[in-house]
Amino acid sequence: MRTHFAEVLARESACLAGVTDGAKLASWRRRVVEELMTPLSPYEFALRHTGDVPERADFLDRWRELIAETVDRLLRSGTTGDTDSSSGRTRRADVDAQKTAMLILAALHGGSTLSRIAKDPWPLNAALDLALAPFTAAEDDSPARTGTSSLIGNIKP
Amino acid sequence: MTTADSHNGRRLTARGAKTRTRIVAAATDLMYVKGVRATTLDDVLAASGVSKSQLYHHFDGKDALVRAVIDNVGERVIERERDALGHVSTIRGLRRWRDTLVQSNALRHGAYGCALGSLASEVSDHDALARQALSRLFTEWQGLLAGVLRRLQDSGALPPEASADQLATGLMAALQGGYMLAQTAHDVTPMATAIDMALAHIESLSER
Repeated sequence: MRTHFAEVLARESACLAGVTDGAKLASWRRRVVEELMTPLSPYEFALRHTGDVPERADFLDRWRELIAETVDRLLRSGTTGDTDSSSGRTRRADVDAQKTAMLILAALHGGSTLSRIAKDPWPLNAALDLALAPFTAAEDDSPARTGTSSLIGNIKP
Repeated sequence: MTTADSHNGRRLTARGAKTRTRIVAAATDLMYVKGVRATTLDDVLAASGVSKSQLYHHFDGKDALVRAVIDNVGERVIERERDALGHVSTIRGLRRWRDTLVQSNALRHGAYGCALGSLASEVSDHDALARQALSRLFTEWQGLLAGVLRRLQDSGALPPEASADQLATGLMAALQGGYMLAQTAHDVTPMATAIDMALAHIESLSER
């Protein structure tokens, strides 16, 4: 397997294994966003779409599997955003770890492409806000949420 | 009859415009199927049947040709999406939009992905003009999705406090990432799953 694929998998394997609650998920996310926004980092390189290499398929399958294990662990430990009963009868039972992992991987892939052409982490953060919503609804501290809109919200007339 | 050449400002004769269109059409097809990097100017010459001097008359080099391909693909995609999304005002309409994209990608087992997204993932960092053109096109596409979400808010199907722009961008990322995963897997399922999950989240906001 190509070096950047192997390096990302090694780091993700170690980092995702330590994600046991919402706060750790948030720091995983911040680190991955930083990696993906760094030109020529192994992460940025691994998610660049450069031809149809079989290793890419294997790499993406394994990363998705690592994310799915993490999602599953968080679901079983009860880490979802919906701790407040008024905000919903959601979702823990409804959340499918494999499908959620697919959305998270798609968000990383598509979000980093949009962020790269925009030279701005905002699209990637918006993508992850949506993909990680089942786990962050109660925390609401994600970068794309704490932008201009919350500043405007704080302004008193 | 003359037509302005958008890249060098020269006026083109009708025959010149036709030659230019032929070059851009051949380059668009090649770059979609083979990728931007793997497409050489010699490939474009062979596929379009124009001479080298004709090609260089219209384009300084590959970067200029890539920008013309971005304009061409962008125009097509935005027109298609404006037709598809311009009047959508329900979640059901959004799902029909999803169905069309997934079904047309399934015909090719996800082999080629989104024409605009493929250009975005391949465009080189050194070409700021190409990057900015792509960024503008995606902003326009996301604007169409945000328009749908605002119409959902107007009808009460989506709560007013949800950020339409942020959700539209998240949905676009899921769509583009889905295309890329489907292309790698030679299977449209990852794309279908990614959009379905994103749409399910948007729908769940109205249930809270």
